[in-house]
Amino acid sequence: MKILMLGWEYPPHISGGLGTACEGLTTALARRGVEIDFLVPTLYGEEDAPHMHLLGAASGQAPHEAPPDAPTDRPDPFAVLRAADPALATDPIFMAALEAAEAEAAESGTAEVQMLRVPAMLKPYLDQATYQELVTTGTLPSVALEGMNDPESHPPLPAPPSTITGLQHAHVPGDHLPSAGESTSGTHYGENLFAEVARYALSATRRVAGRKYDLVHAHDWMTFPAGVEIARRAGAPLIVHVHSLEYDRAGHGADRDIVSIERQGLEHATRVIAVSYYTRSLIHRVHGTPLDKISVVHNGVYERETIQAYTEQRTSKGPVVLFLGRVTFQKGPEYFVQAAARVLEHVPDAVFIMAGSGDMLPRMRALVDKLGITKSFRFPGWLRGAEIERAFSTADVYVMPSVSEPFGIAPLEAMSYDRPVIVSKQSGVSEVLRNALKVDFWDVDKMASQIVAVLELPELRRTLIERAREEIRHIHWDAAAEKLVPIYQSVVRG
Amino acid sequence: MPSVCFYFEVHQPYRLKPYGAQQVGRDHDYFDDKLNAEVLRKVADKCYLPANYSMLRLIERTDGRFCISYAITGVAIEQMKRHAPEVMDSFVQLAETGAVEFIAETYYHSLAALYDTDEYEEQIEQQVALIEEEFGQKPRVFRNTELIYNDEIGRFIADLGFDAMLCEGADDILDWRSPNFVYTAAGREMRLLTKNYKLSDDIAFRFSNQAWAEYPLTADKFARWVHGHSGAGDVINLFMDYETFGEHQWRETGIFEFLEHLPDLLFTHPDWDILTPSQVIDRYPALGELPFHRTVSWADEARDISAWRGNAMQQRALSEIYSLGPAIRRRNNSHLLALWRRLQTSDHFYYMATKSASDGAVHDYFSPYEGPYDAFIHYMNVMKDLNRSVLAPVEKRIGI
Repeated sequence: MKILMLGWEYPPHISGGLGTACEGLTTALARRGVEIDFLVPTLYGEEDAPHMHLLGAASGQAPHEAPPDAPTDRPDPFAVLRAADPALATDPIFMAALEAAEAEAAESGTAEVQMLRVPAMLKPYLDQATYQELVTTGTLPSVALEGMNDPESHPPLPAPPSTITGLQHAHVPGDHLPSAGESTSGTHYGENLFAEVARYALSATRRVAGRKYDLVHAHDWMTFPAGVEIARRAGAPLIVHVHSLEYDRAGHGADRDIVSIERQGLEHATRVIAVSYYTRSLIHRVHGTPLDKISVVHNGVYERETIQAYTEQRTSKGPVVLFLGRVTFQKGPEYFVQAAARVLEHVPDAVFIMAGSGDMLPRMRALVDKLGITKSFRFPGWLRGAEIERAFSTADVYVMPSVSEPFGIAPLEAMSYDRPVIVSKQSGVSEVLRNALKVDFWDVDKMASQIVAVLELPELRRTLIERAREEIRHIHWDAAAEKLVPIYQSVVRG
Repeated sequence: MPSVCFYFEVHQPYRLKPYGAQQVGRDHDYFDDKLNAEVLRKVADKCYLPANYSMLRLIERTDGRFCISYAITGVAIEQMKRHAPEVMDSFVQLAETGAVEFIAETYYHSLAALYDTDEYEEQIEQQVALIEEEFGQKPRVFRNTELIYNDEIGRFIADLGFDAMLCEGADDILDWRSPNFVYTAAGREMRLLTKNYKLSDDIAFRFSNQAWAEYPLTADKFARWVHGHSGAGDVINLFMDYETFGEHQWRETGIFEFLEHLPDLLFTHPDWDILTPSQVIDRYPALGELPFHRTVSWADEARDISAWRGNAMQQRALSEIYSLGPAIRRRNNSHLLALWRRLQTSDHFYYMATKSASDGAVHDYFSPYEGPYDAFIHYMNVMKDLNRSVLAPVEKRIGI
């Protein structure tokens, strides 16, 4: 079986869990004999994927590799778009994005060459504050950084026509255009994301034109337009894989344009894959997709080669309760703070670490102040690499109070450090974990009670850790691939 | 002339309410009265009332040739009287037929046998008194909580004067022996009746399992299996939870029709009859001693006590509750004593078990039960409150 997989990122250059998930999933699929062409917007050259054929949509290919039936001239994006979906052609967001892409291409010769220079610095899951911090701490790839900081070498992308409301939110980080000030929705996205999504759709379609695939598998909304168009052209079935919904990231502040792209992908798909039952029911609720069209394939984790034998390097005397993640609406940081205040009534020397950054961080600092528990809180900011390892290995309990979490890999990581974890029931990962404490994100009394119990009862800690150690061995990507292959087969057979 | 012996366990615990850290020191009502009432009424409607009705009819129709035995825990009787008194009435009616034997156990369905023998004895006495009072019978036969048994427990019960005890017919205990004979406890004359777990579980667990090769299980088929043991045993002991009828196996599975037809089909073989445990030991001689080299129960694949103390949480909770014994007794307060004993009910510890396989448990999310860890947390918070709010103040006063 030969498939085309459309992704948005691939390790090591990742901004969230999607790239890691794609790596795990494709590795396990390849072990089952699935032949994969994996297409991402941009390749950096550091990717390591011996198990499949990794393609960059924007990477220049030798002309002889261009399929014979590929248009030799600049493609007409409008034609591509209308062909993909007549409804799309009336969608202002796409029209604008494609116009922008075309204008840019026209300016600098061929579209193909131009694509090469598009830095993949647009991180679909990051809010502006986090994004800024990533840039300043150098976590973002240097290529992208150069693109950011050096407008000379990479001329800024053309601004979208301001008459088109759908693009008003697409503004440069830290550079609020007055015209965009009214729109609060979508501010958690990077600059010109929509333009890049459309551009990806366009170049991806060209990149694989003439190739034969049994099916097309597209990961998350950014790749859905590309998936719809490629599947249509190839006459192949389309599988769309939902790792998170716009609703998860933004709640009721959801961006309606993204919601619309999600919906079109879901409607065109032969089959939908959700990373959890939680996400499956959310897709059904938000988009009305019939439940029997949606299959659940839980994520896996990579087995850690050796568990990091960190000596506990504590700076505090009391037990440590850890929150680690983006400090945004989706991650529920305020419930962590509220629970902390209640825990301190029982365990006065407990220390709470809120590691990460995001648009809610200032509010969280203020809330901690207001509750009078500043002395018990630490805000170390965005952690990386060894810092994350140390945070996990010196914590007594890890809490993920997410308001809406399609899957959530961090608790599994905490478990691999032998840490007890508390996860919200509004997370996909809570479906696959037995040996974690579970709580509704809003039930701060119960969350506090669970934290207190973990800190006070060694038998609880010991049992959680021992069982979890056993359990995470069974949450692996091979299990995911085992579920996915029969889905592929049934989709291909029609 | 071989026999079939039916024994049904009737038990409902006092379940704890979700009891968080915030409640410690403030809330001294530990049990979920609403839930307990609901469960009891539900089980009464689905199982106790219709099953009792079936049993009564069968007894009347066969003129007592169909006979059965029950163990009904004290905590179940308390709750029936409160929430479904008609269930108690129908058990009394069954007792009056003379074809029903009542078996003793601990009033609180506790694990006291493993922790506190004085306490164990008191809970047995309390239960025996209750059975006499409610049903007018003095039990001759004993069953320990969840058929938990070892030689030490056997000797203890024998020395209390019981004539027989029920236990699990575990393979490694029986070894080359058959469960279908009467044995004696190691070093005592007390008889042991061993459960035929194969045939018992065919009804209790596999009856409605469509993946089972023998599905559907008809009364006719089951009677033939029983008759197949002719000449190879004295008694087939069919021991199970009473909730098998209508609750574990829903009415829709046909379990009541199965029950309805079974006695007549068993009687189609002229050699076979049905006896209660006391009648069994009066008729059949013991074949020999049956020593238990380990503690056995009827729970889980392992048939051991790991269902209640297999992990560190369970062990902690159990040692916590039993360590309160001296302080509780010193108070000489019957209300407090009853409270302490309700907290000893084995179900609390069963809820803390972490053995079920991690795979395929995806829909725990929707389960009304919140899993072993929350069960432990609630229980330990209750312990904390009991220690702090109920016991500690008085200890202080005594100290002065």
